[in-house]
Amino acid sequence: MVSLGELREVVNWQEGLISPSVLFDKELYREEQTKVFEKVWMVVGHEDMLRKPGDYVTNYMGEVPVVVSRDMEGELHVLVNRCVHRGNEVCLFDRGNARAFTCSYHGWTYEISGKLIGVPMEKELYRDEIDHDSWGLEQVRVASYKGLIFATFDQSAPSLEEWLGEDGCWWLRNYVLVEHLGGLEALPGWHRYRTPGNWKHLAENFIGDDYHVIAATHVSWLKVVQEFTQKGYPIRRAAASIAAKRYEVTTGYLKGCPMGFGNMVLGQQAYEQDLALAEKIGHDAVEWVRYRNSRFQEVMKEYEIAPYSFQNGAIFPNLGLMGFLSPLAGRQFLLFHPRGTAEMEQWQWTMVEKEAPAIVKEVAAEYAYRGQHMAGTIAPDDVENQERIVEAMRAPRNWRKPHNYRLQLGHEEEAPQGIPGQVGPNPSEINQRNFYRFWLELMEA
Amino acid sequence: MLTLEQKREVEEFLYREAFLLDEMRFDEWLDMLSEDIEYTMPLREHLQGDVEPAGHPIIKDDKLMLTMRAKKHETGLSHVEIPRSLTEHIVTNILIEDGDNPTELRVYSNFLVRQARKLRDEAWWAGRRKDVLRREDGGWKIARREVLLDSIVLPRGITIFF
Repeated sequence: MVSLGELREVVNWQEGLISPSVLFDKELYREEQTKVFEKVWMVVGHEDMLRKPGDYVTNYMGEVPVVVSRDMEGELHVLVNRCVHRGNEVCLFDRGNARAFTCSYHGWTYEISGKLIGVPMEKELYRDEIDHDSWGLEQVRVASYKGLIFATFDQSAPSLEEWLGEDGCWWLRNYVLVEHLGGLEALPGWHRYRTPGNWKHLAENFIGDDYHVIAATHVSWLKVVQEFTQKGYPIRRAAASIAAKRYEVTTGYLKGCPMGFGNMVLGQQAYEQDLALAEKIGHDAVEWVRYRNSRFQEVMKEYEIAPYSFQNGAIFPNLGLMGFLSPLAGRQFLLFHPRGTAEMEQWQWTMVEKEAPAIVKEVAAEYAYRGQHMAGTIAPDDVENQERIVEAMRAPRNWRKPHNYRLQLGHEEEAPQGIPGQVGPNPSEINQRNFYRFWLELMEA
Repeated sequence: MLTLEQKREVEEFLYREAFLLDEMRFDEWLDMLSEDIEYTMPLREHLQGDVEPAGHPIIKDDKLMLTMRAKKHETGLSHVEIPRSLTEHIVTNILIEDGDNPTELRVYSNFLVRQARKLRDEAWWAGRRKDVLRREDGGWKIARREVLLDSIVLPRGITIFF
């Protein structure tokens, strides 16, 4: 067991030496549920999931079940899904539209806003002495950034925008949420599966591990796509084979909340590939890719090296992002919910650009469920690695030798600069080092 | 109305299919599918009230995609199938109805599939299938398959066929 005093030794992020005990030590896991998950802003959904008053989705913040709802006045709420009378879950559905939730134990009833509105036999049994204002469902602090909903249990946390930082907001706004292009549309439904491994290990995979993509994990799929494309089959996928130099982007570098984007192609090369891909899809797609890029260039005109799109990314602690370098591929949002040291659940949803033509939305959805998805051809290979790691790491003696996170250590700045954030070479482990830097700060606080 | 012999033939067809899947003889399995097959697996959710249906399914494959999935495992580099899974497809409760035209049948079945991976990792998959079988070249082909898995949070990623 690692004591908190020893943490600095096992998380030597400066040297790129991090012990696997941060993943598998049960005491650290318990600490982390308080010190990390009760302190951070976490993504819980997107406003487009809640279009009408009364709409809600259920989700988790760490191990805490929550309901994300829009009340009858249109206000957003994040409510702990737990009756304050005896602790029963009050909402049993994945998503829905309702005015209220009634507990199945004693019938206490809460409005969709969380307000307590009904207690059976209140007058006779409680003599009307229940203070309804203090016995509603627990409200979690909520804020949204350009539609993406975050929540935190920490009332004293900085504002969401301060938390994400100016650079982080720039990347989120321009590449993920595309506010200037009309924003994103949520395709309803959580896609969920049990995944062996510690939540941090998959989060670090998304925030910066592009080494595995080209070196080993996904080569089988890349090979099949290449073979079938060469044989002339109509494959509507970006081949991810732009012969261009790749870069890594880091925001919150050395300070604040880490966000990372990987496999970036600077400038317009990814646009050229997108246009070629759009031609396989049809006229509407070509028109849209052209129009979209002209508007995008307008927004980005002061940044010469601004990339066209992103491949993968993550926001600390547990949100993964996929963009596949192509707006035609939509956006995949993945939450890694902790379920003990060596198990997590992945909760995923898909978004498409709102103003895209129908055929592009269809292609983007297909991209999601055939790729980085529980039944796709990419994600299960990532999960397989996690399963093998869990097996190899059962014995605590295997946690002693730190893992090697030294890729591009000392070379973090060897790349063209001039856009918000830190641009560096790729593949790199700068983002993993930065991830554990912040994790350590929270654990030591 | 189907004769007993015809029913027997359809059941044999489904058992043969399960056998080929468990033997990992995917080329022969692909031959049992029509060229225009639609293989789908909808998202199962618990919904309340007036909400939109799921925006996309878990799987929506044509024959090309099913073939690519099978070929991925033949590259020798597909980690999810190294070493190969051990599977048993138990297929039961087969019901046969007339199809939309004389060359087709609607066939319903339930399945229980156990998938074993490596030393001790495993998944149990239970669900139902709604198939359309079509008479082609004197034999049967699967022209439509809808797989309804009885899982909300799936036990693992899907890398096998149902």
